[in-house]
Amino acid sequence: MSSIKKDWWKWLGVLILTLVILIGLLVPLNPGITQVSPSNAASGTTVSVSANGYNTFFTSAKSIRAWLKLAGDHALGAKSQEIISDNEIIFTFDLPQSLPVDQLYAETALVIDSDIDGAFVRPFALSINQKEVNVELGEQAWSVDKIHELTETNHFRYPFRNILVETIRNTYFHVPLWFGMILLFLGSVIHSIKFLRKPDELSDQKAVGFVSAGVLFGIMGLVTGAIWAKFPWGAFWSWDVKQNMSAICMLIYAAYFVLRQSMTDQDRRARVSAVYNLFAFMAMIPLLFVIPRLTESLHPGNGGNPALGGEDLDNTMRMIFYPAIIGWTLLGVWMAQLKWRTLRIESRLRE
Amino acid sequence: MNSILVLLQKEFTLEFRQKYAIGGVFLYVFSTVFIVYSAFIQIPVTVWNVQFWLIILFAAVNAFLKSFVSENNDKQLYLYQLVSPLAVIISKLIYNLLILLMITGLAFLALVLLAGNPVRDAGLFFLTALVGAAGISIAFTFIAAIASKGSNQATLMAILGFPVIIPILLTIMKLSANALGLIQDTAILSDLGILLGLDALLLSLTLLLFPFLWKD
Repeated sequence: MSSIKKDWWKWLGVLILTLVILIGLLVPLNPGITQVSPSNAASGTTVSVSANGYNTFFTSAKSIRAWLKLAGDHALGAKSQEIISDNEIIFTFDLPQSLPVDQLYAETALVIDSDIDGAFVRPFALSINQKEVNVELGEQAWSVDKIHELTETNHFRYPFRNILVETIRNTYFHVPLWFGMILLFLGSVIHSIKFLRKPDELSDQKAVGFVSAGVLFGIMGLVTGAIWAKFPWGAFWSWDVKQNMSAICMLIYAAYFVLRQSMTDQDRRARVSAVYNLFAFMAMIPLLFVIPRLTESLHPGNGGNPALGGEDLDNTMRMIFYPAIIGWTLLGVWMAQLKWRTLRIESRLRE
Repeated sequence: MNSILVLLQKEFTLEFRQKYAIGGVFLYVFSTVFIVYSAFIQIPVTVWNVQFWLIILFAAVNAFLKSFVSENNDKQLYLYQLVSPLAVIISKLIYNLLILLMITGLAFLALVLLAGNPVRDAGLFFLTALVGAAGISIAFTFIAAIASKGSNQATLMAILGFPVIIPILLTIMKLSANALGLIQDTAILSDLGILLGLDALLLSLTLLLFPFLWKD
């Protein structure tokens, strides 16, 4: 009993992480559209658009409606539909002669609404070409049908993103691991400062423990990032600036251990590595948070890309994402504690 | 202030008394340029840019390594009685910066002599060289101070120094590529700002942490 009272945070961390892994991996994604063909059509023709659904139940749906949507309120309803399977459906659209734009083409989104799956959209599904511009006629033709009475579902599901699909679950592993790493390094910095203010062996051992756990988290962050990158970027390692800078950051911290190995005098080793630890932390900040923002990058939040947020991290995901940060960090602190306790025992044995 | 000047004078006297170290660096600059020149015959501007900064980088590692290593414990103990650690590190920083600027000028002259002068925007180029050399000298002076505490200092210097210098070096290379007309970039001012920011960060860290490092 006393161990639960004293080590409650370890139990909490394990509980949170178990839930994160279970819920993070088991909850399905929202329905979505993976593929639409054809991708373009001429105005004034009748076109059959086949859509491939993901996590959809077309055959058991009682009513399915579909629209081609243009910017603004303009939309065009499907004339007829043919359900092939749960995941495939063909809609027929009578495209009007004119588009409500003063361009020769327009990109439309495909909106599908089903009473079981709810409403979901594929942006840039079908591009329509027209021979001449007639905005007025187009306005009329595209204003007949309205997107209305969309089914609202209240399922606990993760968002469907075309470029990510199931890999969106990595948000609960890759991102919190980096958050955890920063927090662990911050912990080691605090102990290094403590050591420099008032030298004692324990602060040094704690700093080493936190750095060790932080480096492990950093390597895990790199690996989960590379696995994630394989899907949307096409390669485990794309020599992206964020990947390179993270790897260099790991090198800076690897040098911490080399530096410790190169000194035999214990007092000197503790002091010099505390100084280097502060230096490494400050050097890491521009590497991870300044340089990648300045150059082109594939990574979210860098090179003009939007950071996490919006549809990528909706409220459902936040409910798992924030606890995941806490859970991983608690696990890291536990690891750090085991490490410095081992160091402490080793140094006692030496005496 | 006075002690900084005296220490600077000491550094220069030492340097001129034993000219082999600085002479070695100069020889190193010329031989590197000459080797690359004979390999390429016609040096493309992109190679010119990379080579220029690599020469400076490696010359800096060689030149700065001895700034703390050459001072044995007895001499440090003696200095410790006389002056504050801040005076020591500031004099080392100024001395190393002057040496690095000299190396930069020399590398530039050697490259211009052998490979032509591709610089289009001289103002930007020399500003980059100045701010960049300041960053490299601050980072490597501090790394040399750390490395001098361990064994096998030359290896330690490379292991500790190169990862830290990469963000500075990348920014410098981008700016000087602009000055050489290799790329057209509108973010020159923000890049210069980043470089100055990195310099300021490294400088404040060095001044803050060196007193802890110095006492033995």
